[in-house]
Amino acid sequence: MSDAQRTTKPSRWDILARTDVLSGLLFIAIAAFGLWASRNYPVGTALRMGTGYMPRLLCWLLLGLGVIVLGQGLRQQAAPLRSSPQAWRAVLSVTAALVAFGLSIELLGLVLAILLLTGLGALATRALRPVETAIAALGLIALSWSIFIFGLGLTIPVWPEW
Amino acid sequence: MEFFDNLAIGFGVALNPANLGFAFVGAMVGTLIGVLPGIGPIATIAMLLPLTFHLEPVSGLIMLAGIFYGAQYGGSTTAILVNLPGETSSVVTCIDGHQMARQGRAGAALAVAAIGSFFAGCISTALIAGFAPPLAKVGQSFGAPEYFSLMLLGLIAAVVLAHGSIIKAVAMIVLGLLVGLVGTDGNTGGTRFTFGIRELTDGIDVATLAIGVFGVGEIISNLSRPEEERSLIAQKITRLWPTGDDFRRSWRAVLRGTALGSILGVLPGGGATLSSFAAYALEKKVSRDPSRFGRGAVEGIAAPESANNAGAQTSFIPMLTLGIPGNAVMALMIGALTIHGIQPGPQIMSERPQLFWGMVASMWIGNLMLVIINLPLIGIWVQLLKVPYRFLYLAILLFCGIGVYTVSNSASAVLLAAFFGVVGFVLMRLECEPAPMILGFVLGPLMEENLRRAMKIASGDPMIFVQRPISLGLLIAAALLLLVVALPAIRGKREEVFQEG
Repeated sequence: MSDAQRTTKPSRWDILARTDVLSGLLFIAIAAFGLWASRNYPVGTALRMGTGYMPRLLCWLLLGLGVIVLGQGLRQQAAPLRSSPQAWRAVLSVTAALVAFGLSIELLGLVLAILLLTGLGALATRALRPVETAIAALGLIALSWSIFIFGLGLTIPVWPEW
Repeated sequence: MEFFDNLAIGFGVALNPANLGFAFVGAMVGTLIGVLPGIGPIATIAMLLPLTFHLEPVSGLIMLAGIFYGAQYGGSTTAILVNLPGETSSVVTCIDGHQMARQGRAGAALAVAAIGSFFAGCISTALIAGFAPPLAKVGQSFGAPEYFSLMLLGLIAAVVLAHGSIIKAVAMIVLGLLVGLVGTDGNTGGTRFTFGIRELTDGIDVATLAIGVFGVGEIISNLSRPEEERSLIAQKITRLWPTGDDFRRSWRAVLRGTALGSILGVLPGGGATLSSFAAYALEKKVSRDPSRFGRGAVEGIAAPESANNAGAQTSFIPMLTLGIPGNAVMALMIGALTIHGIQPGPQIMSERPQLFWGMVASMWIGNLMLVIINLPLIGIWVQLLKVPYRFLYLAILLFCGIGVYTVSNSASAVLLAAFFGVVGFVLMRLECEPAPMILGFVLGPLMEENLRRAMKIASGDPMIFVQRPISLGLLIAAALLLLVVALPAIRGKREEVFQEG
């Protein structure tokens, strides 16, 4: 079994999908982006550090570390990461739910924002039935109203303000 | 005796009915999130951080501290009964704890875990009370160069003690330092990495980052996997009291675990998780019959459970005496203090004795409450374990949203947290531990400020760091630590080469 694995060369995509290769590339990308974004910051000297001294120093450091991690990833055998539809579903739905909540909380108030959050968030898993989602939404509205509005007296709008 | 006067002040504060209530709430919430897999103390403390704005500083800290050490108690329950760690700090408790439960001795395992934790809690509280004042005195003589060297040592220690890849841990710290730079530079007034977004000019709040990475990121991460089958031990837990044999076997393990946890907790980057792993390894090494481990050895529960509680509590020492966070939870505690305009550091003890001693006293009371919450009421927590994750994540997500919104009263912070949620998920997927990032994020601005101040004092001469004896000592310690890491790494590499050849 292990002999068979050793003889078949991993495909280029499988090498790219190793966690260390991807992390190395991620670090390099962030560092390059940081260096580009800070290209106009005054650097100054060690005695009189300018705005850009620390950012550029750290970006170069991250770039170097990214290269090392990438190198390790390329050399060491590791199972490639596989993306699953379930993971994409979770990422998209959880992010959408939170973004919708953030955009609506001031405009539409807590009640509608919670409805949006539970509605979009429930799409993250197939296990949740529509009836359960509805019950969860109502329960969460009651719970957060009693804790945050009634109990702690936070100034969050509850209903849309027209 | 000044010591007893101080303790009297502390108990005066901690026994105040409101503060007793907050200690209880903290212990309950801590146990709850400890029992529930999929939500940890970092995310919870970050979510509740905004609420402490409305409380007295000492009450807020008492509650947040209760969550941290309460989670160490609750985590063992899930580990023993379901073979799933409720927290990362109880991963090793699963090994022998669940075996004991399968042998019908779940009650004894739970009791040993709780009693060990309580003993460790008492000792480490006493250690904080005893060692913090002299340490704070030392801290008062520190100038900018000493602080910079100390924080450097802290970051290096955090890397050395992190599990997993060391290079990746360093990269995560650097990433955290970079995220900490976002906003306006206090010294020159220039903005950094704000990309013209007005909301970013004040910088990113630690709560937003922590809720995003640990709260939201964890939710995505849990949902992206199929839900684990939870094989709850079905039998009723009847006998809670351990046998005489259990006591005989475990008392030394509890002592060793407490000692190891107390030491590792003080170290930067240490804390609960590292302590429990180290304690389990130590127990296996000193045992006369190591083959018993993994088959329900009671020492395998007693030592790590004592160690994680001791480590959780002693990690408060550097935060309270020097104002330096050793782990992500302490970084959030510093956030809680600064919300109230309190600058953490050696002056806290002399300027705000009620805050310091009140918190120390409340830790002891909280530990007492936790034994009661965890042992007689174990049935309630077992019921809770039957709630599937799909009913929980919506509530956790909502609390994340409300928490971020209230911390700054800005909707844009919620969008930022959503972004960090995706970042956190990606990092976890790539096996990059996000905890060092938070540490870098909090320490970054502090280090930059002290570095600049030191350079000003020395008019640009970097030799100031080696000319001051304390600073030199700290730097030597940092260099030694780096050397220690380098050696086994080299050895490891060579072994790898040999294996392949």
